[in-house]
Amino acid sequence: MLPSYYEFHNPVKIISGNKALDNLPSELEILGAKRPMVVTDKGVAGAGLVKTFIDSFGSSGMTIGAIFDDVPPDSSSEVVEKITAIFRQNKCDSLVALGGGSVIDTAKGVNILVTENSDDLLKFSGAEVLKKKMKPLVVIPTTSGTGSEVTVVAVISDIKRNLKMPFASTYLLPDIALLDPRMTLTLPPKMTAATAMDAMCHAVESYINLQKNPMSDAYAVAAIEMIRKNILTAVSDGTNAQVRLAMANASTMAGIAFSNSMVGVVHALGHAAGGICHIPHGVAMNIFLPFGLEYNLPKCHENIGKLLLPIAGAEVYARTPESRRAEQTINYIVELRKALNDLCGLPMNLKQAGVTEDKLYEIAQAAINDPSIVMNPREMDANDALAILKKAFQ
Amino acid sequence: MTVEYRPIVPKIKRFKILVIKIVFIVLGRAFQSASQHDEEIKREISSWRDGFTLIMKVMPDGPYMGLEKKNNMLEFKGSKLKQADLEIYFRNVESAFMIMTPQMGSHQAFAEKRMSIKGDLGIATAFTRALVIVMSVLYPEFIVKRLVKRVPPLTIKRAGLRVWLYTLGIVLGR
Repeated sequence: MLPSYYEFHNPVKIISGNKALDNLPSELEILGAKRPMVVTDKGVAGAGLVKTFIDSFGSSGMTIGAIFDDVPPDSSSEVVEKITAIFRQNKCDSLVALGGGSVIDTAKGVNILVTENSDDLLKFSGAEVLKKKMKPLVVIPTTSGTGSEVTVVAVISDIKRNLKMPFASTYLLPDIALLDPRMTLTLPPKMTAATAMDAMCHAVESYINLQKNPMSDAYAVAAIEMIRKNILTAVSDGTNAQVRLAMANASTMAGIAFSNSMVGVVHALGHAAGGICHIPHGVAMNIFLPFGLEYNLPKCHENIGKLLLPIAGAEVYARTPESRRAEQTINYIVELRKALNDLCGLPMNLKQAGVTEDKLYEIAQAAINDPSIVMNPREMDANDALAILKKAFQ
Repeated sequence: MTVEYRPIVPKIKRFKILVIKIVFIVLGRAFQSASQHDEEIKREISSWRDGFTLIMKVMPDGPYMGLEKKNNMLEFKGSKLKQADLEIYFRNVESAFMIMTPQMGSHQAFAEKRMSIKGDLGIATAFTRALVIVMSVLYPEFIVKRLVKRVPPLTIKRAGLRVWLYTLGIVLGR
């Protein structure tokens, strides 16, 4: 059904394919950049991807202003400030994020400080606080899941004040998302599975929540179908470049979908569990997805039912009566989780992920204050959250 | 024959602005009163620091109303606050009129980008829940049902609060 009103915005240029990275210098030139700073992490550098990156600048006439390769798994304001100082000192004029969600969010944070000429990130935390067009930002994801290369958000921890600062602004959208299959070939199976399920959750939640619209639906359905066709091969045979590129595309499409229609309870619970028990985000998404859908069944049975087509394929969809499609969608997700657990040991419940039962109440309280629940079709209170957590525990 | 092109200054929507101003006063005073009596609203605002301020404002230069947390309650500040820790914007007069009259709920308004937020999103989420409670006390269930995802239960205490708000609560803000 067409919503009475909606908005959709995605100005990010997508560059995808074989040796896409080699086009980066010319793309930066189009953006008016001459001296990019690269933000990455030790894992990416250790996998040899920084070397591939530097090689792509060969004979381009461009100087890489600096490479910072020490972004921690949880981006923090201290790291953002450190990189900002290097950016200024080396007179860089643009940013390239080469990594996963933490690296991308860190680069977005650096872009805020260098654009606003400030050293206090907290001042710009919140929604729609930013008012200036930012420095050119190119994102090269090395995982296929966060979708951060096409989203308006970033989350950065302030360790001193012990809080997570969310940033939401259209100015945070990168200029370019560059998808090169070489960048995800070395991702280990378990991380491949977890990040893929993160992308799956982005697409699924964007399709069922209150801000859904025909444009985000199109991206969500295409993303889910591409994940279904490629996820198991990506986990079992990570060296398959075609499959890796498909997963990168699916993740970006899911990112575009949820950036325009937001997420829901699965993410609210995942953010809370991640914050309190430090479960990796993708693992949490894999655990909560079927329970979140089950919780939302009374409010969006029809929409969950429609997802059976991309999740299970045309034949299954055609032979399933309309009244049973929503439940079948959930069954297929449960089956997919089992297959991933068999392949790489991706946890299917909170206990397997190392969460203790005494933490559930705290997670429930945090989940209901997570902004992700605002667009969820069903109002989740603390009791509801606790009931879902108990189901997901073991 | 020469055609004269003159600048056009569109009319000010006086009636709708007046309605919004009145609803802001009613809503602000209702918040002030309800935050002293309703346990759930008290719980929602308990983690906010004392002196925390928020404003609801119609863009770009429309009416606005402010609230400040003081002594564990929300104090209605009218149009005294120009800036606040949390700012909730209505995109234009038409959107604000639709939400304030109340033809549209806050969730739908956020989904349709008729409302936006500047500030802490976690506190904004808690404030939205408190707003739902205030609306459920102010309006009858058949109206509230169209506006919110889940109608808060009208307990005996809340029914009493409704009577109090309509008699003295809104007038006195206590």
